[in-house]
Amino acid sequence: MLVRKIKDKLFIVGIATLTFLTILPLFHIVFSVAVEGLPVLLKGGWNFITGTLAPPDDGLGGIGPAIVGTFVLTFLASLLGLPIAILTGIYAAEYPNSLLGKATKTLLMIMMEFPTILVGLFVMQILVVPMGSYSALAGALALAIVMMPYVAVYTEEALRGIPKKYREGAFALGLTRFNVVFRVLIGLARKGILTGVLIGIAKVAGETAPLLFTAGGATRTYFEGINRPVGAIPLLIYDLVQQPYKNYHEIAWGASLLLLIIFLAIFLPIRLSLKEVKL
Amino acid sequence: MNAIETEDLHIYYGKNHVIKGVNLEIPEKSVFAIMGPSGCGKSTLLRSLNRLLELNEDAKIKGDIRLFGKSVFDMDPIIVRREIGMVFQHPNPFPHMSIFDNVALGLKLNKLVKSKNELKKIVKWALEKSALWDEVKDKLHEPASALSGGQMQRLCIARAIALKPKVLLMDEPTANLDPVSARKIEELIFELKKDLTIVIVTHSPAQAARVSDYVAFLYLGKLIEVGKTEDIFENPKEELTEKYLTGRMG
Repeated sequence: MLVRKIKDKLFIVGIATLTFLTILPLFHIVFSVAVEGLPVLLKGGWNFITGTLAPPDDGLGGIGPAIVGTFVLTFLASLLGLPIAILTGIYAAEYPNSLLGKATKTLLMIMMEFPTILVGLFVMQILVVPMGSYSALAGALALAIVMMPYVAVYTEEALRGIPKKYREGAFALGLTRFNVVFRVLIGLARKGILTGVLIGIAKVAGETAPLLFTAGGATRTYFEGINRPVGAIPLLIYDLVQQPYKNYHEIAWGASLLLLIIFLAIFLPIRLSLKEVKL
Repeated sequence: MNAIETEDLHIYYGKNHVIKGVNLEIPEKSVFAIMGPSGCGKSTLLRSLNRLLELNEDAKIKGDIRLFGKSVFDMDPIIVRREIGMVFQHPNPFPHMSIFDNVALGLKLNKLVKSKNELKKIVKWALEKSALWDEVKDKLHEPASALSGGQMQRLCIARAIALKPKVLLMDEPTANLDPVSARKIEELIFELKKDLTIVIVTHSPAQAARVSDYVAFLYLGKLIEVGKTEDIFENPKEELTEKYLTGRMG
């Protein structure tokens, strides 16, 4: 009896320790980014958000172009990726037994795990090289490709999760398949689809690799057009950390905290509302 | 005239032969009950009538089904389903839409109304017909998910009759309801048969006896006996029917 109780306690303590070790990096990241980044944000003030990059060893300046760039890239990527991704998800959900439907699901799963730097290389080949320049369009296309499988898979799962009785009820009213899907089922699945959209956006807002060979980066000029290079916060951090200047490292910490805040601002509401997502 | 006739109807799910040569004649403006033990194929038979069964890719249908003399297989399934409404075993109003929108949806999407006023009128008519109007008239724009089970089922009836179908299929419409709600639905059936033909599936002989004018007894996919309800209940010709009605089977 006693031995069993001790075993039980040991097991629970063991699991608790392992769980703690698993989530430790997350707390460490949030903590260190906050500790290092917050003083930079406070010192830099409003100018840190709106200004342009300072010269080496000369104050903080601002990361405005990168912030604007991240929003521009995310917006353009959503514009390019969301409609196609949602339609793909609908197709996979509506025709799960067709050859193309089955292939779509498998390919989406592969795309989700695909090394994103290869996406960047691909877009460089088809857009950057022919256009002769890095561009916001190329960066957005790379991000759209990264975003699409998440949105498509969430859409498909949300639609498939709808109880069959609603589908039958809609067909029994003499609705066309188009109306059944777009006027009834999409509405029922809206929370699941929205979750997928937000997860896709949160995912690409923090991506670096697909932008390396596509967006080009810009630190002193704001958005100049979709055919011109554009900055992004993750790209800026990647560049600054490699520089030998102390103020650039500080700016990188501040940018990291901003990126974390943007990410959490998109991600936390999703997680908190996830209970609602299940029908 | 017969509202629905089936001729040598066979239905297969893959290799399973679930309906075996059923011939039915369902007279207009009557209540026709299909009864039988669970798994005898009554729901499958019912779903074949409005071609809803064909949503299932495994299902194969042989033989003919005629709606007022015309083969449903010569008609667009969408038209068939507008003429033959359906109410399901699990009340299934669309939970994300308001009570009003649930009834209005079919009318709007099928472009059966010309103006908003006409739409409102028909929605009101359908809710009155399904004995729900008094309970919901002050909350038409609240979500349908807020209704009770019995109210939801009557909303589903309203949704179906709003399209003014000629036939209404009911698949065990009271199976998931409390006795009071179930009685309301049965009373409604009496009202509705003045205007349309009702085909109701039930596993309860008692319900068949209460609501129907004609009854068919289905067993293992075969039609055992069919006729006027009082004849079948008072004087079953087949031994199987008698066994079923006296509760000695399923």
